Amino acid sequence: MSRRKLVKPLSYSALIIILFLLPLFITGPYQLHIFITAGIAVILTSSLRLIFTSGQLSLGQGGMMTLGAYTSALLVMKMGWPTWAALGASTAAAAILALLVGYPFVRLKGIYFALITVFLAEVIRLIAEQWRAVTGGSLGISNIPPPDPIVIPGLLHISFVSKVEFYYLILVMVLVTLLILYALEHSRIGVTWFSISESDFLAESIGVDTAKFKVLAFCIGSLFAGLAGGLYSQYNSVITPSAFGFVYAVYVVIYMIVGGARRFSGPIIGAVILTFVPELARVLKGYQPYIFAVVVILIIAFMPEGVVSLPERFINIIRERRGHA
Amino acid sequence: MAASIYILVALGLTLVLSIMGIVQMAHGEIYMLGAYGAYYFCVVLGLHYLLALVISTLLVGVAGILIEKIFFRPFRQGDFLPSVIMAVGLMIMLQTTAIVSFGSSIKVVTTPFRGVITIAGAVLSWERLIVIVISVIFVVALFLLLRMTKIGQAMIAVSQDLQGAALQGISADHVSSFAMFFGCGLAAVAGGLMGAIFNLSPSMGGFALMKGIAVIILGGLGSLPGVVAGGLILGLIDGIVPPLMSVQMASLVGFIFIILILIFRPQGIMGRPSQ
Repeated sequence: MSRRKLVKPLSYSALIIILFLLPLFITGPYQLHIFITAGIAVILTSSLRLIFTSGQLSLGQGGMMTLGAYTSALLVMKMGWPTWAALGASTAAAAILALLVGYPFVRLKGIYFALITVFLAEVIRLIAEQWRAVTGGSLGISNIPPPDPIVIPGLLHISFVSKVEFYYLILVMVLVTLLILYALEHSRIGVTWFSISESDFLAESIGVDTAKFKVLAFCIGSLFAGLAGGLYSQYNSVITPSAFGFVYAVYVVIYMIVGGARRFSGPIIGAVILTFVPELARVLKGYQPYIFAVVVILIIAFMPEGVVSLPERFINIIRERRGHA
Repeated sequence: MAASIYILVALGLTLVLSIMGIVQMAHGEIYMLGAYGAYYFCVVLGLHYLLALVISTLLVGVAGILIEKIFFRPFRQGDFLPSVIMAVGLMIMLQTTAIVSFGSSIKVVTTPFRGVITIAGAVLSWERLIVIVISVIFVVALFLLLRMTKIGQAMIAVSQDLQGAALQGISADHVSSFAMFFGCGLAAVAGGLMGAIFNLSPSMGGFALMKGIAVIILGGLGSLPGVVAGGLILGLIDGIVPPLMSVQMASLVGFIFIILILIFRPQGIMGRPSQ
């Protein structure tokens, strides 16, 4: 029994060590770029799932990401903020917006909540496009500076000049995000969210302030979307209003469902697989999106619970066989 | 004018949503297909614009029946998310098909309706008048179909109570095929009409889908008169705001208006409050 208990933490640590050693083996800037993109997608998809555990689907994560990206870029470039402070501000901006709109929004349920977040994201996009004096209109902002160097005198000096430093930055951010999200899900708050998603009437009848908890989930989920946006703008150095529009928000939902929304690991697996699949199909050029669509459709048709349900299914099949034998 | 296009798109979307319980995310791409169909028959094959519009509408309607059979049947009335993702997969495929076969450059449909007409002091181009007239014809036809014919009544029955309808011997499969035929046909008409006024591009569907969803939310989910009202309101906003500010501002005002409506009257303008 004790051996079984050890397997999980050991395999996780092994995975993390491999991820930290990865730039030793994969040195191509393009390959690293895909890993970085996948990392940002993981942050976004996992934060979406956090909102989802409270029984709500947000289709506005792209909007929150845009808000974060613009906040960080503008604070650094127009106000001369240090990049790390700006990154913090970009997460705060998304969380504050979520708090402001949260209470009226969570009165809506199901598809209505999903759609109002779509419209919120559209409003953010259109403001970014229209407020030309500040946001640079539909061309967006370019030449966004990379993060300031991290300097600990005599010990450490990291300046963000190549993809490798960004890879480590994103990796650390992903791990921190996942740690926080995991802790939240397994806390009392997480249990409350789950109870709300099962039945909010029942939760309310035993004295849970469902609105408060739903807003909290929406805020935290948006906070990490803002973080993803801030990171993206500092990494990519260019941000446009439509970079994370409705389509991107839908993709994030697809990542989550394809991976499996029930498990914590689902969105991580979904985001990674679906970031890599189109890249593997690059040889197909114009036909490339077909592969993405076909993979998604097949997974949904045959594994409605997502990829993470695969091991369980195998175990069930084996058990059934044994049962019959 | 914009209002009539929005209404056509949103009517198709509502039809599919209320009968099959599927948010048809690929509806915008169906609209795009309708526009490209009209372009193909009118410009490439040189048919008359109206004939091209009819052929394109029928073809896309038939395609809708096939799409229902292949993609949506297992997901009908099921969970919201898997069906949405299925539809998004379809959306990506249709969009890619359009890019691969027509290229991503912008296309223009030229219609035989040129010149302008003056009605009670208002100057209107013939093209726009035709768009409005055809839209009104289709909207009226749909309402008559739903009210007067057996299949129309069957559709209403299914949308109200699936099991009750089944007990009366109404086949949900049959009705869903019709719903997809009419839904996709309406989107194709809207696309073909829009193509006569604005340019075509493979990504034109996103805009239509967004406006379609906005209209059905504004009017109240599942309410057909609500769709007409919602479309008129959104069309009005899009008509009044641009001369004062800009086209994008019109979208902004429209979306903020819808957010406010959702907050203060979640069931929409004409919808019934849900339990």
